[in-house]
Amino acid sequence: MDSAALLLSLKLAACTVAILAPVGIFVARFLATRHFAGKPFVEAAFALPLVLPPTVLGFYLLVALGGHSPLGRWYEAAFGHPLVFTFDGLVVASVIFNLPFAIQPVQRAFEAIPDDLRHAAACCGLTDLQSLWRIELPLAWTGLVTAWVLTFAHTLGEFGVVLMVGGSIPGETKTIAIAIYDRVQAFDEAGAGIMSAVLLLLSMVAIGITFLASATRRRHGR
Amino acid sequence: MAILRLRRAVVRGCVACAVMLAAFPVALAAVADAAPLVAAAADLRFALDEIAADFRRATGHDVRIVYGSSGNFRRQIAEGAPFELFLSADEAYVHALAREGFLADEGVPYATGRLALVVPEGSPLKLDGELGDLATAAGDGRVRRFAIANPEHAPYGRAAREALQKAGAWDAIRDRLVLGENVAQATQFAVSGSTQGGIVALSLARSPDVQGRARFVVIPERMHAPLVQRMALTRRAQSTAREFYAWLRGPQARAVLARHGFGAPG
Amino acid sequence: MDASADALTVELAQARPIPLAVTLSCAGGELLALVGPSGSGKSTVLRAIAGVYAPARGRVAVGGDTWLDSAAGRFRPARERSVGFVFQNYALFPHLSAQHNVEQAMGHVARALRAERARMLLERTNLGGLEARRPAQLSGGQQQRVAVARALARDPKVLLLDEPFSAVDQVTREKLYEELATLRRELRVPMILVTHALDEAAMLADRMCILHRGTTLQAGTPQHVMTRPASPLVARLVGLKNIFSAEVVDHDPARALTRIRWQGTVLEAAHAPQFAPGARIAWVVSPSHVVMHRRDRPSRGERENPVAGTIVRCIALGETTALSLRVGAGGGADIVFSLPTHAARRNGLAPGVEACISLLADGIHLMTPGDSSAPA
Repeated sequence: MDSAALLLSLKLAACTVAILAPVGIFVARFLATRHFAGKPFVEAAFALPLVLPPTVLGFYLLVALGGHSPLGRWYEAAFGHPLVFTFDGLVVASVIFNLPFAIQPVQRAFEAIPDDLRHAAACCGLTDLQSLWRIELPLAWTGLVTAWVLTFAHTLGEFGVVLMVGGSIPGETKTIAIAIYDRVQAFDEAGAGIMSAVLLLLSMVAIGITFLASATRRRHGR
Repeated sequence: MAILRLRRAVVRGCVACAVMLAAFPVALAAVADAAPLVAAAADLRFALDEIAADFRRATGHDVRIVYGSSGNFRRQIAEGAPFELFLSADEAYVHALAREGFLADEGVPYATGRLALVVPEGSPLKLDGELGDLATAAGDGRVRRFAIANPEHAPYGRAAREALQKAGAWDAIRDRLVLGENVAQATQFAVSGSTQGGIVALSLARSPDVQGRARFVVIPERMHAPLVQRMALTRRAQSTAREFYAWLRGPQARAVLARHGFGAPG
Repeated sequence: MDASADALTVELAQARPIPLAVTLSCAGGELLALVGPSGSGKSTVLRAIAGVYAPARGRVAVGGDTWLDSAAGRFRPARERSVGFVFQNYALFPHLSAQHNVEQAMGHVARALRAERARMLLERTNLGGLEARRPAQLSGGQQQRVAVARALARDPKVLLLDEPFSAVDQVTREKLYEELATLRRELRVPMILVTHALDEAAMLADRMCILHRGTTLQAGTPQHVMTRPASPLVARLVGLKNIFSAEVVDHDPARALTRIRWQGTVLEAAHAPQFAPGARIAWVVSPSHVVMHRRDRPSRGERENPVAGTIVRCIALGETTALSLRVGAGGGADIVFSLPTHAARRNGLAPGVEACISLLADGIHLMTPGDSSAPA
């Protein structure tokens, strides 16, 4: 059991959720409440990572952030180490790759809120932010929990992008998914088995929480 | 309203956890920062683990080894991966990196790689180092899948291809090949039971994990261009990496390599 | 009505997506009913007044305070407008108790006073004891009261009610009518009630405004609009059925009458000097001004506007019977009226029977013939 890899994965997942939680809320609310020309294209762009093969994303990220790219060179000049093959690079890749998971469930939840409730909040004198915090977020709660849990679980399991952008550097970019791959190649099936079981358990807990959240909502009638 | 308060508490709890998790492995990283990163060809896994253990016992210093395909490492180092020492299974990659200015110097050869034919239990393939049976076996359907490392970027894969071409079996077998991303994965495929055999690194074929599940025979050196395995320090190398580099050229390390089936360097 | 309270003036104009051509005003303390069929844009008008909908062009002002002035580029968002809005489906916040729903509208009140004020408001709307309940735990009528309390909690300058009684049953509705009537007496702000039910408008409103496809057609007291519609379209919209065409014969100012020719008869109508003799006009008579002659006492010429014809429809609906009298030869026109069932029976009315009615002169209202094709 590679506890450094497990902790690294948990840290990566937590950072991704921490960054995407507010992003998801604001983007989702914007998409749910505004209508403008070109909206389908914007939504498609955010949904792209769902269907994009991880290696394609990994490839484009390497091109955009790698040591030869302007961004990569700037980063290395500014911080002393490259963006790729570091934890920071993984976070960037992970945030991009999880956008649809962080946005779509929240967007559906916001769309399910009747417009009249927002109008009523405005007539009560609530500002946009007050309306969001007091009225919309509590009602969109299930969508938020689903988004966070899915993002967390999805990051834990991410392999292709992490391998291409991060390499497999112990303590830095060797996540648990990569550690499992590595253990199999080392004929350490016991080690691989334990880590796989842990990931399986975490995934089941994640799905369980998601279902529990929507069941609670149904029981309390929103 | 109680539900709202509960939800707020959950939110705060999650944020706290995230912050803690974010802060915690700074400690981990601080420890790990001290140990240099070593990029090692996949065929070195068992040998190098032993050498690193010896090194730790002798000097008290740790190294962090990452195993993979030499071609992959060559690319990653060129992209700025923070390796301090590169042990390649093919000296051409080391020369290329030196030319491009990523290495401290041209490095030195540290071993010569050998190929082995691996045949798992229950496979109808004959154990012939000259690979004589292989072409026929491909033709009559005894061999449906055969594993080698990817010749595009793995030195052992390229050598395996040369050996197969020399034996006149390449055309017959090439449609049945399963390519491993590196020679360790190829070994995995070869013994897993889903192939009828493979050509892999001798150092991996000799490992205890393989011994129980497959038999192997050494492939003669004349069947392929020599696998001169070369290593070099990168520009990022610090003191511990240099120490390890010196250790690898010493007698203890040499003995371990020989025991795992590597030929002497040069 | 307190003349010093601010009056609401509204002008809206828009072609797409919802056509609007609205002019209305409502004085402080007055309840204006905005009436029209479904799809006439009533809700849109309310939302434009509230500020949750921005029309292409318009002006909304309360007293000296301009909320919207498209010409001057001024648009004050809803949250700054101090408007109380009771939505058709109440739009209560489902995750908050009744009290907390009401408290949301009290941002302008000191925090320490909010709970108490909210409780008082809920008491006033007959919801004492139910403050802690969530909307899902309240009946339709109770939810409506919470919505009203929340609207009032805003100390609004204008109160807007969007078909607030449509979702409740008859018995509850009558109770709510009474409560609204009581509430009205204490409120000094302009109130606009949107409804498609004319009887509701007639019962509750001081003034009524008819809206059709986004255009305000006529405004006035319910009594006035429903007996003196401005056009055949308005007449139809207020549910009047006896709309016919006729020709002006002449005027008799001394007796305050105008004579018209219809179906070969001359009728005396309320004086309408704006129509020249010979002009074609449309006229309407409300059912309350149609009087049945007793069949056993035939008219001897002393009754107003006697009209003879044949009963073609006689349907008893409980205590009232709906009747149609066909007047004139060759198809003719049907006058619709109703009688208490016992009277209909007493007079032996049935389809095919000859009968005679009187149309009271001041109930005959003349209009410019509009877009409607009224039978001659």
